[in-house]
Amino acid sequence: MDLLKSIAVATSGLRSQSGRMRVIAENMANADSGPERAGADPYRRKIPTFQRRFDRELEAQVVDMGRVQRDQSAFRVKYDPGNPTADAAGNVRMPNVNSLVETMDMREAQRSYEANLNLVSSTRRMIQRTIDILRA
Amino acid sequence: MANSALGTGGNLMQALKTRMHFHQSRQKVLAENVANADSPGFRPMDVKAPSVRVSNGGVGDVSLARTSAGHMGIGGRSDGFDSARARRFETTPSGNAVNLEDEMMKVAQNQSDYQLAASLYSKGLGLMKIAIGKGR
Repeated sequence: MDLLKSIAVATSGLRSQSGRMRVIAENMANADSGPERAGADPYRRKIPTFQRRFDRELEAQVVDMGRVQRDQSAFRVKYDPGNPTADAAGNVRMPNVNSLVETMDMREAQRSYEANLNLVSSTRRMIQRTIDILRA
Repeated sequence: MANSALGTGGNLMQALKTRMHFHQSRQKVLAENVANADSPGFRPMDVKAPSVRVSNGGVGDVSLARTSAGHMGIGGRSDGFDSARARRFETTPSGNAVNLEDEMMKVAQNQSDYQLAASLYSKGLGLMKIAIGKGR
């Protein structure tokens, strides 16, 4: 039945968006995770990726989470001479997480999640309508 | 008269069935669009509405127009549904051209059109029940 396939496609969207949300939450939580010891790297921001895949069973393009990649941009540098992990100049390298960027990503993921959810409920109403034909 | 009425009834049910089938397929294509709303390089698709060919004066058989001979249905669908490229409003830098609001509008419209067709179908069934003497 095509309608159940629609729900399955929308569910793949829900799954990927919640996976993306998890990665964003990880970034947000680690926004201040500095290096563990002097000379080590602090937390490096993770970037969720999406890839589309043609599902032969559903006969549709579904979306999957791809590999989670690392943001290779430069770390933030904070002047904090009292920190045990500071270098000779008193600078501490902090994660390259920008909470504004993460918030925007979070909003986008939320909106896409809601859209997929909307589709599921709309499709469910269509199925219900089909069942109502039997009752008439 | 009786014959033509019965014929019209049968054709009507056939046309409504095609219509409902069209809305099911469209729902699936819209689900694909929404699920891939954040996939890079994804272009949204849409299903061409069935065109009703009027033949023999009554409700004709419903068939789908093909916009181009090179098009092929998604997943090699054999029921003649043709996915034409949907009109695009904007394309993000990642090459994704899905407009979520637009898709939501289409989903809502698709759902109400399906409900209309389903209501007409059950109405038609009621008419047939009256004809065979089991009407309410």
